[in-house]
Amino acid sequence: MITKMAPTAGSSPEPQPPAGGAYSDSARPDPQIDRLLHRNPKLWRGCDLAGQGSHGQSTGFPQLDDILPGRGWPDSGLLEIITPHWGMGELQILMPLMRNIIEQGKWILWVSPPHQLYAPALVQAGIDTRQILVVKADTSCTDALWSMEKALQTKNCGLVLAWQSWLPGRVLRRLQLAGDAGKTLGVLFKHNDSKYSPSSMRLQIKGLAPQSRCLSDTEITLIKARGNFRPLSARLNLYARAQAS
Amino acid sequence: MVMKDSEPTVQLSLPEASGAEVIPLPVVPASSPRHEQHENSKKVSRQNLWYALFFPQLAGLSESRQAQILNQLAGLVETVSSTVSFHPQALICEVRSSLKYFGGIDPIHDKLRTLLAPTLEQHELAGDFLYAACPTVTGSLLLARSGHNALVYQKDNLRSALGQLSTEVLQLNKEQNRRLYNMGVRKLRDIWRLPTDGLRKRFGSDFINLLNKATGAAPEPTRNYVAPPAYSASYDLPYELENLDRLLPLADEMLAQLCDFLQRRDLSVSRFVFRLLHEKRVGTEIDIALRQSGRCRDHLLCLLETHFAKLSIPAPVIGLKLSVKQFDAFMTESEQLLVEERVKGGAPKQNRLDQFMEQLQARLGSCCLKSINTVAEHCPEYACQELDYAESAQRDAVSLSDAVAKNPRPLWLLDEPVRLTLHGGRLYHRKSISLLSGPERIETRWWSGAEVCRDYYVAQETSGSRLWIYRERRGERGWYLHGFFA
Repeated sequence: MITKMAPTAGSSPEPQPPAGGAYSDSARPDPQIDRLLHRNPKLWRGCDLAGQGSHGQSTGFPQLDDILPGRGWPDSGLLEIITPHWGMGELQILMPLMRNIIEQGKWILWVSPPHQLYAPALVQAGIDTRQILVVKADTSCTDALWSMEKALQTKNCGLVLAWQSWLPGRVLRRLQLAGDAGKTLGVLFKHNDSKYSPSSMRLQIKGLAPQSRCLSDTEITLIKARGNFRPLSARLNLYARAQAS
Repeated sequence: MVMKDSEPTVQLSLPEASGAEVIPLPVVPASSPRHEQHENSKKVSRQNLWYALFFPQLAGLSESRQAQILNQLAGLVETVSSTVSFHPQALICEVRSSLKYFGGIDPIHDKLRTLLAPTLEQHELAGDFLYAACPTVTGSLLLARSGHNALVYQKDNLRSALGQLSTEVLQLNKEQNRRLYNMGVRKLRDIWRLPTDGLRKRFGSDFINLLNKATGAAPEPTRNYVAPPAYSASYDLPYELENLDRLLPLADEMLAQLCDFLQRRDLSVSRFVFRLLHEKRVGTEIDIALRQSGRCRDHLLCLLETHFAKLSIPAPVIGLKLSVKQFDAFMTESEQLLVEERVKGGAPKQNRLDQFMEQLQARLGSCCLKSINTVAEHCPEYACQELDYAESAQRDAVSLSDAVAKNPRPLWLLDEPVRLTLHGGRLYHRKSISLLSGPERIETRWWSGAEVCRDYYVAQETSGSRLWIYRERRGERGWYLHGFFA
């Protein structure tokens, strides 16, 4: 008699990347290990992907905090944000970070934004425009890159935002090293993802989350970060604060 | 107290009649008649003659622009005099020392006029200026402002020359001018007739100070022009050298001198040129640009060594030349002396930030580096203003919440609004658009002829971007995209 092997109900498909609750409560044997993990950003557990320690600056969005290593933005280095076209909410993600940086008294440098930056919007978001500098879009590429590198190397500059859609890998590597040296975070906005990019973190904003309950949720995928080896996604409403005010 | 004279020869011999006791005589102060004459002559020739150049055409320009133009002109005036100082809309230089060289004040004046006219014309300003000369700085400034073009050589004539000037040359504010006029004071000599205490009470001690400086009764410290740093050194070799390794110790010496210069002036170098001279040929140039400007001698020598390793020279070297193309201010972390300050962490230092901004501005030019400011305006296009970095430093702290509209504003504003297409009842930009929040009506600028009359909406595209669109209420009634909520 051939017993037909029914498909086991337990054979689950590939497990979904955990969108939240990255601390797996089941596997927490030792408080000492937890302390080690929390304090040292260079240690992480292979099974627990994100949310190790809290050595980053909080993003202001709890769902995003859950998928980022260090529960927040890194302190230094290059962060790439990839959007299909400008204006998908990529600056809204960075708003809490920008507010923090302005409060610390540091400067923000905007390098070649594609459109004119509108000051009243910054003031409405609570950012003091006296600490903002804009390098206009018609500067030459070498000059823009030079100013980015110089700003990343300076300790007083808190954040450098740049819109350059195509930069070769060695230039990115140089910017990454400059950011690490000057302990400044640089954010690069691009249209296309490249697998070989040397930046320490890459985020992609895909647009409206399909099949989401609320129409205003955007889906954000963390393609690469130091400390995880699987792309993680989160869905969040970027404009919640703007709507509430 | 009696001081003993150190030189035994000057001691007066004791007269015989004074008795056995030795009475030490007090030392006579050295004011022999010959010495006094020497001092007097020194005083006369020590009197400076200050030549003031007043530029009334600079009145309408902004502070930074004035400073820029005055700096440029000061560089030219330095050919005539060694001390050039800055004053509002004026340059004052010391010419007594150059009178003999140029042979009088008229050649100096002609020379300056021919020098400065092209620069002024370059900046689209009138090419002539008002001038005057007198023994005090402020006096010459007042004389120049009056337009009299007076030349006063002796200090004794100064007071009478200044007395004839009207009170307008003092450039007081409106209130003080009115008060002086009401008192019946028209010229400076009328002011001198009034008691100083009363004037001080009514006009403040600055006013009295100014007048004292003009007559030479008070000291006048000035801010002098310092030429931008330049460094160039050369060394002729006693014999020809073909081996580049032998040049390294000599290059080391030259770099040591350069680093000494940099340390003294508090600068660092970011680009320099090292030339190897050959006989009857064009020299070989090594252009070294540093990514991060510094003044470490070992680092520069190391860079030079690397260049020498792959350099091939066409002929033996007979001389070396080092010149610096670009200087930068020297930025460093300074240690905190007090422990409490160290513990606090300290806010980022402002002067290092200024140096960094200056570097950026020097490289990018003031047209490409801007800072933004809000203007209290209803019309969205005019509510944001771009300022040059130099002007933004003088901005006052505006109370942020008052100047900005309550309704949401987009982070990015398009320079020209983009027309949206309407298909089958739906708006399209790239994907279809749905309105999120209600109309905000902006009607303004009716006085300027380009009236703005629009209803603004916050809308969302199906791809996820949030847009700021408006509907024109006059004329065509079309839909336009004006900004992105990035």
